[in-house]
Amino acid sequence: MPRFNALGFGFLAPAMIVVTLFFLAPVILTVFFAFTNMSTSTGITGGEYLLTQSDLREVKASGVSEETYDKLENAGYVVDETGLALLAEARDQATADELADLHAGAQFSSRRDMERALKDLRANRIRSTRDRKALAELFTSSVMDERFQTEEEFRAALTAASIPEADQNILVKVAYTGWVWTTENMKLLFSLDSSWRYAMNTLFYVVFTLTFNVGFGLFLAISTFYLPSGIANTFRTIWFLPRILPPVLYVLMWYWLTWDTGIISSFMSWFGVAPRNWMLDTATNAWIVVILINGFVGASLGMILFSSAIRTIPASMLYASEVDGANRWQQIRYIILPQLRWPILFTSSYQTLSLLTSFEYILLATDGGPGGATEVWALAAYHTALNNYGGNLQYGLGAAYALVLVVIGIVTSALYLRFFNFKDLVAKPRIEQ
Amino acid sequence: MTSNFRSLPVIALLTILSLPLVIMYAFTLVDSITDAEPGSLIPSEFTFHHWRFLWDDTTGRGSVWIATINTFIFAGSTAAIVCVTSLTSAYALSRLNFPARRFFLAGVIILHAFPTITLIIAIFLILQFLGLFDTLIGVIMVKAALELPFGIWVMKGFYDTVPWEIEMAGVQDGASRFMVWRKLVLPQVQPGLSALLIFSFLSGWSEFILPLVLAPGSDAQVLSTYLAYFLLDDSLEVDFNLFKSVGLFYALPVILIYLVFQKKLMNIYGGGSKG
Amino acid sequence: MTTFKFKRATAALLLSTIALPALAEDVTITVWAGGSNDADAYRIDAIEIAADMLEREAAIEGRELNITVEGKRDFGGWEEFKQGVTLAAEAGTAPNIVVTSHLDIAPWSQAGYIVPAEDYLDFDAWPLNDIYPNLLEIAAYNGIQWGLPQDAESRPFFFWKDTMRGIGYSDEDIAALPDKIASGEYTLQNVLEDAKKAVDAGLVEEGYGFYPRPSNGPDYAQFYQSFGGQLQDPETGKLVLDKAAMEAFYQFFADAVDAGITRKNHLGTDWGQWYSEVANGKAATWHGGTWHYARYTGKEGNEDFFGTIEFSLIPAGNENGRANTITHPLVYLVTDQENDDHEDIAAQLVKIASEPRLNSLHAIKSAHLGIGQQQSNIELYANDRWASEATERLLVSANAQPNNLDYGAFSEAMFKGLEAAWTGVKTPADAVAELESELNAKLGDNLIVR
Repeated sequence: MPRFNALGFGFLAPAMIVVTLFFLAPVILTVFFAFTNMSTSTGITGGEYLLTQSDLREVKASGVSEETYDKLENAGYVVDETGLALLAEARDQATADELADLHAGAQFSSRRDMERALKDLRANRIRSTRDRKALAELFTSSVMDERFQTEEEFRAALTAASIPEADQNILVKVAYTGWVWTTENMKLLFSLDSSWRYAMNTLFYVVFTLTFNVGFGLFLAISTFYLPSGIANTFRTIWFLPRILPPVLYVLMWYWLTWDTGIISSFMSWFGVAPRNWMLDTATNAWIVVILINGFVGASLGMILFSSAIRTIPASMLYASEVDGANRWQQIRYIILPQLRWPILFTSSYQTLSLLTSFEYILLATDGGPGGATEVWALAAYHTALNNYGGNLQYGLGAAYALVLVVIGIVTSALYLRFFNFKDLVAKPRIEQ
Repeated sequence: MTSNFRSLPVIALLTILSLPLVIMYAFTLVDSITDAEPGSLIPSEFTFHHWRFLWDDTTGRGSVWIATINTFIFAGSTAAIVCVTSLTSAYALSRLNFPARRFFLAGVIILHAFPTITLIIAIFLILQFLGLFDTLIGVIMVKAALELPFGIWVMKGFYDTVPWEIEMAGVQDGASRFMVWRKLVLPQVQPGLSALLIFSFLSGWSEFILPLVLAPGSDAQVLSTYLAYFLLDDSLEVDFNLFKSVGLFYALPVILIYLVFQKKLMNIYGGGSKG
Repeated sequence: MTTFKFKRATAALLLSTIALPALAEDVTITVWAGGSNDADAYRIDAIEIAADMLEREAAIEGRELNITVEGKRDFGGWEEFKQGVTLAAEAGTAPNIVVTSHLDIAPWSQAGYIVPAEDYLDFDAWPLNDIYPNLLEIAAYNGIQWGLPQDAESRPFFFWKDTMRGIGYSDEDIAALPDKIASGEYTLQNVLEDAKKAVDAGLVEEGYGFYPRPSNGPDYAQFYQSFGGQLQDPETGKLVLDKAAMEAFYQFFADAVDAGITRKNHLGTDWGQWYSEVANGKAATWHGGTWHYARYTGKEGNEDFFGTIEFSLIPAGNENGRANTITHPLVYLVTDQENDDHEDIAAQLVKIASEPRLNSLHAIKSAHLGIGQQQSNIELYANDRWASEATERLLVSANAQPNNLDYGAFSEAMFKGLEAAWTGVKTPADAVAELESELNAKLGDNLIVR
């Protein structure tokens, strides 16, 4: 075998490009985002400079000079020489003269009043609303409510308003609409009661779903092992389908089972029980449904892995044990289960990680309800960053939530890598072949 | 068989436990072609009315056929990209010697079990930067990237089982490593490849969150988002039988694939997929 | 007074670039409407009608303008809609016009996704000068008119008349209820008592005495106001957490659960089930929205709305509070586009769609309230008993939630606290304590705690 092979890199390149661009880069970006205050209002792609009335309150508290504050607050529209000259340039001298006659020296606090002043023109009417609005801007004396693309432009405007350098620095900070670096997200995350609740929910969810997955997977594998192959395959198919059915359809099926118009309600109504939403009725109901929805999917993985492991047990061993008088339970306890130690360990560690981060089924089924009872960490990250009723999506805070999972993910994968010989476990289990 | 292999009690127990699933499957099928009296579970008449979405845009979601075509393109392209790239890179990782091979291997393993969905915000930003947001191509690339580590891992497993002697013989006959790979090794891993192809296709067919967030426009709508609309909308008038038919229509290819490739599927799912 | 030569130069530059549109112009205007179903089709259809009008106007002026309107309203829910608009705007593919909650104005204007309507429209001219000033105010933020109100509504309290009769109210008593509520004579404490009577008498099932909205929404801020809570400080524009009012508001719902008139697991009830129950008398009292009228009388089959249901303001909670209702108008917003002419066309379309006649189509079809004074002179609107009575009884006393960047976080946290108190996870006092610490952490300076 040659020591070095350029073909290796050539063969790796396509995968490398795709994975780096759409997988590794997002991992790194998530780390960065977690330390920003990025949200809907700051935008993602950078900001501009804009002073608004609510910024003024902040300006007042931030220690700019009285003079600057007054300048900002009282600025408005003034019909002055400069403005009139510009008007003459943009339209004609007659228009400027008429406006000077009517309103020379007048001050207006809002643009609407300035527009009204322009409307007063009779001999030189400005008919288009759009023109009138543009012309009104010629008389502005304010930097308020104007978007500046760059800091230089903003500073230039501030300098033109003769605002001192020291105050400019404060204003630049206040007026910036984009995101800035911050460690607030992490602090907030650890100070919120809700974070702990999400963490506890997640723990609860992972522990119970995992127990169900492994326990029920074992039960399915062992019980089907004792059946004639035709019947065993039927049951395996029934339990395998949740795994390959699209999640959306699979959850819809649960809706039909559990909703107030669904099968359980119809069935119970024969016994005089009022129809109700069995999925969202109480927190306990919601948890049971969430765990079953995920558990049925997860159990099939266990079922397949464990089945193939059981199959490797020599049949002679089982027969021999029976000759020795072992009953079925003893057979399972002393022969089959020891054989399954590694697959169980593998399934548990593997599914711990994927359960920690999965929220697809919960999102579709309960969406964290009722009353946030089934809101797990990954779902909270999704809701915070991309999906909330308030409408101000908190990308930064959401990324901070995600970062916690990313760190857990990397650490546990690295640990698994160290402690398990993953290669033996993952590469070869193939049944029925 | 011996006494320990008596099966009746086991069958009874399994049947009871499987009942909820079987009922769900059965009612999906039955309700999609029948109508029942309100509050009753037993169908009273046979009808194709619930399948009207196939020729009529009654759902307010646009044509189901466009979504179907999109889903085929999405799942097909994802599967193709995953297969072609993992075919080459897995071979490199399994058989070729080059610097930092161990590093790449460890990377693949870590990514293989990585919490992918937490990255969606960052992924959005990158797609937007590339101008691929709200396009089918963008979602395809992302889905393929997220599936790749798994694909590489599975393919590497298949390459590992190919006897070295085959390649040795080829190299000794004077063929290049590339030719050896193409002519001698590829046919050996063909079963693995088709299993991976089916798996990635199914995975793409079922994908929901990525199209939901990264391609919200109606041009790139796929069947999962088409169907999910019924789940997420509060105000919709509920016609469950219509949804069941749409759902069944959506699941049809999956069921067909399962029936045809049952063994292959069990094989690759046993190899450890996202649980 | 200092002048800004710099800025004026930009303005002049802008002016010089405004040329007449080219001779034949094909424009595609996309409209996305959130939270809209079939009954709300006129949110988009009105823009199409407006487009036809604008094309005709342009044709008379000798310009050929072809506008194609592409509407989309099939979003999963409000959350998906907002997510879609936000991400599209970031990607530079935002729709030209969005129909959304007025609360989105604050974050979206800050992010630069939307442009001020006042940059394109003359608010002193018809039809904009006919719009109720308080509704216009709701579509303004930071002193700038960002959008136009698209509809108005309000969120009343409902009584099922038969049940009220069953607990001893005469028809006159019931008819007098709205006035007694408005004057503060009949309070939420009376609601508790009456609902309890109804449950005890077996007129409604346990948990159906008071049957609130099953999910988060502006409605719950009303109960905070009922107990004297104030959402925003008018002086400073900061959000206000009135701890006493908040606790009394949480306590009311906890009491309702204890008394067995509201279900502990009520939140999260399926909307479909909820509508059908309240529309058919399974609940004694509940609260909802003016647009529910369409649903109750339509899909849910209540043939005699006025004979079976009485509606009023949300009653006061105690002596500190007042009877109130919140209006949560949707607004038309024009988004930032590369081509300024398209923004202008979008603004013109929105203006035309706000004509009384066009808006009345939407108002009546979807059982919303009108936005302009002249709508009472449109027969379609005036002849509709629900629209005119609801306007009279509710809209005059309606206030809106504040346009504030942090209001989303405030309202989410307030609802989370309510959920905790309601489901008994926390006592109302503890829930308020957690709310206070969460709001302090998230809002910082933008919060006043009383």
